[in-house]
Amino acid sequence: MWRIVHLLAIAALVGSAIYAYSIKYETILFAEQIVKIKHQIEDEHTSIGRLRAEWAHLTRPERIQALAQKHLEAQPLQLSQIVPVNELPERTPRVDSIGRKLQDLGISGPTNTPHDSTPGGAATPSSPR
Amino acid sequence: MTSDHVEPPRSDPQPTPHRLRRHLGRICSVLIGGRLDKSASRIRLVALAFAGVYCVITGKLIYLGLKPEAPQNLRHAASDAVAAARPDILDRNGEILATDVKVMSVFAEPRRIIDKDEAVELLTAVLPDVNAKELRERLGSRKGFIWVKRAVTPKEQQEVFRLGLPGIGFLPENKRVYPNGPVAAHVLGHANPDNIGISGIERYIDGQGLADLHGAGLKIGPEELTPIVLSLDLKATHALRDELVEGMTHFKAKAAAALVLDVTTGEVVAMASLPDFDPNNPADALDPTRINRLSVGVYEMGSTFKALSIAMALESNKVNLNSRIDASAGVLRYGRFTIHDYHAQHRALTVPEVFTYSSNVGSARMALMVGVEGHKAFLRKMGQLDRLRTELPESAEPIVPKNWGELNTMTIAFGHGVAVAPLQAAMAVGALMNGGMMMTPTFLKRDIDAARKVSTQVVRADTSESMRYLMRLNAEVGSARNANVPGYFVGGKTGTAEKVIGGRYSKNRLFTTFMAVMPADHPKYLFLTVLDEPQGLPETHGYATAAWNGGVVTGKMIERIGPLLAMAPRIDLPTQPFPLLAKLGIGLADITGSTRQR
Repeated sequence: MWRIVHLLAIAALVGSAIYAYSIKYETILFAEQIVKIKHQIEDEHTSIGRLRAEWAHLTRPERIQALAQKHLEAQPLQLSQIVPVNELPERTPRVDSIGRKLQDLGISGPTNTPHDSTPGGAATPSSPR
Repeated sequence: MTSDHVEPPRSDPQPTPHRLRRHLGRICSVLIGGRLDKSASRIRLVALAFAGVYCVITGKLIYLGLKPEAPQNLRHAASDAVAAARPDILDRNGEILATDVKVMSVFAEPRRIIDKDEAVELLTAVLPDVNAKELRERLGSRKGFIWVKRAVTPKEQQEVFRLGLPGIGFLPENKRVYPNGPVAAHVLGHANPDNIGISGIERYIDGQGLADLHGAGLKIGPEELTPIVLSLDLKATHALRDELVEGMTHFKAKAAAALVLDVTTGEVVAMASLPDFDPNNPADALDPTRINRLSVGVYEMGSTFKALSIAMALESNKVNLNSRIDASAGVLRYGRFTIHDYHAQHRALTVPEVFTYSSNVGSARMALMVGVEGHKAFLRKMGQLDRLRTELPESAEPIVPKNWGELNTMTIAFGHGVAVAPLQAAMAVGALMNGGMMMTPTFLKRDIDAARKVSTQVVRADTSESMRYLMRLNAEVGSARNANVPGYFVGGKTGTAEKVIGGRYSKNRLFTTFMAVMPADHPKYLFLTVLDEPQGLPETHGYATAAWNGGVVTGKMIERIGPLLAMAPRIDLPTQPFPLLAKLGIGLADITGSTRQR
């Protein structure tokens, strides 16, 4: 009787030791992962901060103005170019300008079927001579 | 005491150890299979040995716990030395004006360096801008921690790392950067390499408790700090500075400054003072010619002060807009002093004419009507006689005459004899424009309600309306025509002060000021431009007075900045810009200044 109890106790002891060890091992693993992720987050924060600073530096009005003057042909905004919405002219009916051009050229008309101009020739020169 | 109840009364102390021993013995006999009485002494010996081992371990633990460890010391020294994080500074639209970036700094632990001369030699070879002699001295000190070089480049860091010197290491630090360079430099100020605010808003932030937080040893990341939102608009500030730079070079002025003030909230929306500096290179900031001329410089504001004099006369009901002031002589004598008019008309002038012809005689007479004491009290109420304190730590005391007599009142009436910071003058004129609410200018974002709470009514609403009328009239027919941008219903006032050179007013060294308000019927923004010693040019017919330079520059600024600040130009002029005055039968004579008219 005592023997069984003792054996059970020993088994429980060994089992709990293994369990405790595995838990501890897992904890260490997770702790390491947390530290790693924390470092990653910190790195991301750092690079976000750096990129934000870089973006602000590259988009500073001074630089944009210099670039615009060099590469664009835009004029500075005139006050007379600003009008309230209700002063905008009515939208003109939509014109298919390419279609109209084609029409003017007469390209869009029905194309005549080419026919054999020789007397007695077939309507379509289908057969080689 | 609960333990008394729980513990059973002990009749005999002996049985417990006996039972225990018996129990132990049984376990041992099961385990070893031997007999207890024979092995009792051995077990005791083993127990003793174990106890000894545990004592040693405990002793070692206590020793380790008490011993001050070297690495811990280093970390402590480093956290003191490392530049702390600062909150970002944003403009009113959230654009970055100042931020922190992480950089690597090289440090040394002199006690751990074996060959100091070799270390110095190798370090200065890869970091050429480090002073070898100074580094040798510092390595020789008894300190546990010194900086070799702050903020090294990744390439330098790699090279130092390759040297493989013991006792040399790297620490990440925060470095303050200002992506926009000199734009808004005077407002931002700058921070030193330890990230402590030295001037401007940076210093203001430290004063708000940031320094205490760092002092308490709290390690704060930049993402945990709330950004500081300024009232400045980055794009408007850049445009203002750009126009000012152009104006200053064009008119060959020594210095210049400009300001856009939101008169409804007291926010400074844009400002620039030239010559300025790049806060990324703070050594320039120490140059005395690069001060903030708007808040640190004090100047005689010239005729822009006439707005205050006329407002004072109107407020005291000594005159109204239809009153006539005698200026027929064109001069006003007081003892041996004579006051001249620049644009003398040799007749009695109405109050609006005094303003539009910028009559010195007329404004001196009006100030005399109010009297010396009344004049002083009014200027004090308008904040012109005391130091103006804003968030910026740099400020200057106005220069006020010690013995203020009638002559002083006469000259101060047209802006000579009292020197104030231009920001201060703008604050007073802003109060005259916005319906009479005096509010201290701020560099932090705030809304109208918050501004109303901290402002006081200094002049009546009808006085304010009369002043708006005068400003508008002056932009239509008076000296401020150059800034009359069509569509914005601008009002303006010029001011030209002669500079005091060697104790005398100099005729050809001028300090010109220009104030413009837009739109004059419901003012939103006040523009102020000052130019120090602008020169006359052929296209200005050789004149160097404010109308020819300050007015032109301000006109350009209004045209460019108005749309940036979402001010829509109006094609039609307001039908009833000044309702109270219209009841009195005063209206604008003609309607120049609309886009249709041009």
